Amino acid sequence: MGANSGPGASPCASPVGPWRKVLYARQPFPDNHVDRRFLEELRRNIRVRQYRYWAVVRETGLVAQQVSCVAVFITLWSCMDQGRLGPSVLLWAATGCALPGYGLYEMLGGKDRERPRLADLQSAAVFLAFTFGFSPVLKTLTESVSTDTVYAMSAVMLLAHLLSFPYTQPSPPGSLSLNAALFASVCLASRLPGALHTFAMLSWALLVFALWPCLLHRLRERAEWSFPWAAGLVCAGGVGGLGAVWPGGALLLSLALLVLTLACPLLLVCLQRHKDNIHGPWDEAEIREDLSRFLS
Amino acid sequence: MVLKIFFPTCCNTADSGLLIGRWIPGQDSAVVLAVIHYPFIPGQVKKYLSETQNQSQVDLAVLGSWSLPKDGQEGMDSFLKDLSTIFPNSRWLQLSREIGKRGFACQVVHNRITPPDPAQGGTDKKDQIIFIHYDQRKVMLSQLHPIHEESPGEESSELRAVFHTVAQSGPLFLLDRYDEGPLKLTHWQSEGREASIVVELSKQASVPLCIVLTWLVSLWQSKCFRSYSPGLFFRTSVKMSTCVQTAYRTNHFQTVFSTKKATSHMEFMRKANIFVSFLVDMSLGLLLVSWLYRENHISQLANTLVPVADHVAKELQELLEWLMGAPAGLKMNRALDQVLGRFFLYHIHLWISYIRLMSPFIEMILWYVGLSACLGLTFALSVLSDIVALLTFHIYCFYVYGARLYCLKVYGLSSLWRLFCGKKWNVLRQRVDSCSYDLDQLFIGTLLFTILLFLLPTTALYYLVFTLLRLVVVMFQGVIHLAIDLINSFPLFAMGLRLCRSYRLAEGVKFRVLCEEPGTPLHLMMEINPLKCSSVLQRYRTPTYSCYPRDSWVDLCKKLFMGELIYPWKHKTTKTD
Repeated sequence: MGANSGPGASPCASPVGPWRKVLYARQPFPDNHVDRRFLEELRRNIRVRQYRYWAVVRETGLVAQQVSCVAVFITLWSCMDQGRLGPSVLLWAATGCALPGYGLYEMLGGKDRERPRLADLQSAAVFLAFTFGFSPVLKTLTESVSTDTVYAMSAVMLLAHLLSFPYTQPSPPGSLSLNAALFASVCLASRLPGALHTFAMLSWALLVFALWPCLLHRLRERAEWSFPWAAGLVCAGGVGGLGAVWPGGALLLSLALLVLTLACPLLLVCLQRHKDNIHGPWDEAEIREDLSRFLS
Repeated sequence: MVLKIFFPTCCNTADSGLLIGRWIPGQDSAVVLAVIHYPFIPGQVKKYLSETQNQSQVDLAVLGSWSLPKDGQEGMDSFLKDLSTIFPNSRWLQLSREIGKRGFACQVVHNRITPPDPAQGGTDKKDQIIFIHYDQRKVMLSQLHPIHEESPGEESSELRAVFHTVAQSGPLFLLDRYDEGPLKLTHWQSEGREASIVVELSKQASVPLCIVLTWLVSLWQSKCFRSYSPGLFFRTSVKMSTCVQTAYRTNHFQTVFSTKKATSHMEFMRKANIFVSFLVDMSLGLLLVSWLYRENHISQLANTLVPVADHVAKELQELLEWLMGAPAGLKMNRALDQVLGRFFLYHIHLWISYIRLMSPFIEMILWYVGLSACLGLTFALSVLSDIVALLTFHIYCFYVYGARLYCLKVYGLSSLWRLFCGKKWNVLRQRVDSCSYDLDQLFIGTLLFTILLFLLPTTALYYLVFTLLRLVVVMFQGVIHLAIDLINSFPLFAMGLRLCRSYRLAEGVKFRVLCEEPGTPLHLMMEINPLKCSSVLQRYRTPTYSCYPRDSWVDLCKKLFMGELIYPWKHKTTKTD
């Protein structure tokens, strides 16, 4: 361990040499000694992304359209509750939306099929049979529960749906969000006068909450240009439908959508410059496994 | 060195002679068992000692000499001193007493056969002697607790050695003063042996009686318990307390009537306890029978039984109608309510018809069943418990239906709640994992979850009501079983022994100072401390198939909450050894 350093050396040199950042060698420095290379490896804000305003606005369209989906659903329910629309009308409308939607989905799908068409048909048959079979039971479920409780439960569940929706990967719908939405729809549907109403309501819930996000995701993947138009259509439909039932609600909804789409991205972009993240070699190690070399 | 000499009180006034007893190995103490009087021939003494030693397995020896000078026996002292040469021993005790004085004088002569042990100091020091007087008859009959089965020579403590020596020396005490033999002894029985004609006769008669009874019991066992194939009969018979009680009593009879004589104290006590409790049981049962069959009590009972059963069924019907309405203001799901209510009402209707069908035969059945009380009060109580179980069978059925439905619901709900949150139970790892479900599974799972959740209050209420009813019946049966258990297991003989002859069950001894004068040895009186009553109960309790609660309260509440069927009493199997 002998090293030559004379008496005129720098303050951190010692008869045994400069200070080394190791723990296994006994050094004459105190335990909390640091030298001039302290915090050399500190980095600030290396992962901050530069957001562009209009890109963010575009992405926000997904959140806005989901809110509008909920609004559309509530509109439909309200119409049936007030007797403006009959269940058979709604059922025909559902068929009318489902079949073209499925066709569009198939067209955009192209060659890769994860499920054969027969499995899709089977699923559809199972849905219809179950829903139709259970509608009389579902109708009488909340008879003894007071209306306020039912409304409160549905509101909480729809809020949970919005909060837990997997906005980054909506194609297989997240369990909690879908279940919450279906629970809310069952609660609301059981308040309707007849078993057929319940059936119609549940079919629409399936369309709006389960199948529409899959289609939207497919659209985004294959035909990027159509996404803003689809989102805009849904938002307009939500506002318009709510306006027919409850004008005040339409106003509120449009306000909310504007805030969400225009004000929130602005906030995000403006607040980026206040970010102050520090990184360094003391961070927790992130293991990035590249599994592609295992998959053939 | 302190020398302890255990001296029997019966020899306090004995004539001069030789002291017979035993040196306790490893301790500085000796137990005096008897005194052999002058005149005697030393050769005959030695022969008698060796014979008695063979019979009793206690190593007897001549400890020393005893002199109580009476008129005309002045020359005894020197004669007795010389005897130490005839009976060689490492120590020779010379006890003497004067009439009128309370204390003894004692001199210990050490025979120099072995050189003095240097660890003890070498020289002849003045030995300090303590005389401990004991009542020979009481010590002989008493049993020291806690009981250890030890062989002579390996006793764990000095007290045990003393008790053991006296108890085993029975053959020594057979010669009394009316015997025409060469030797004259003084011990507790020397005034004449106690005997009674009744005891002797019963001892003679008991052997053939036991043989006959054992043969009868084995016949009964082979007929009843082996010819029926195991299976349904076995399972139902295990549940019926009458059959359990019969099996239990049969085991007891086998123990009591076996021709093998009880060798150890515990066996003897167990046999005695069983016999006495059986006698008491039978007498109580006969009392009950005499009361039942007098003044037509049986027909009165039968006449009240059917209306009571009817009344119970009617109460249940009203309860169900109340549940089908809006019970306690709770809002039930009407459709499910109606279904369940009608289902249970139909059951009650069936039950009432069954009771009405049986009503003409009730009196005759009761008459024959009442006869079974002859076999003992415990039998009558177990028959009562079984009758109660049969009469409330419909409550049991309702409870099982309600519990199964509720249990299914709770399990379904918990599993579907996990699906709601997107998780799954991993059976392999016994934990909850996340899982990505298919669309179909999610849809149907949510529907079912909603249905089960909203139907939960209705099912829970039915379950609660029927569980409470079942618990009431179980409590009642539990009380009856407790009474049966008490009669079965209470050690009447041991308690009687403790109360009447308390010296027979000893926990220890206590000492009382008799005479303490300077210059003379200390005299203590040893009195037996009887066993505490609670220890008697604990130790001599007959083991039974007692019913005790299977789960703790916390476990029971958890089971009730989850809807698992509860069988609150667990039967301990009878211990036979």
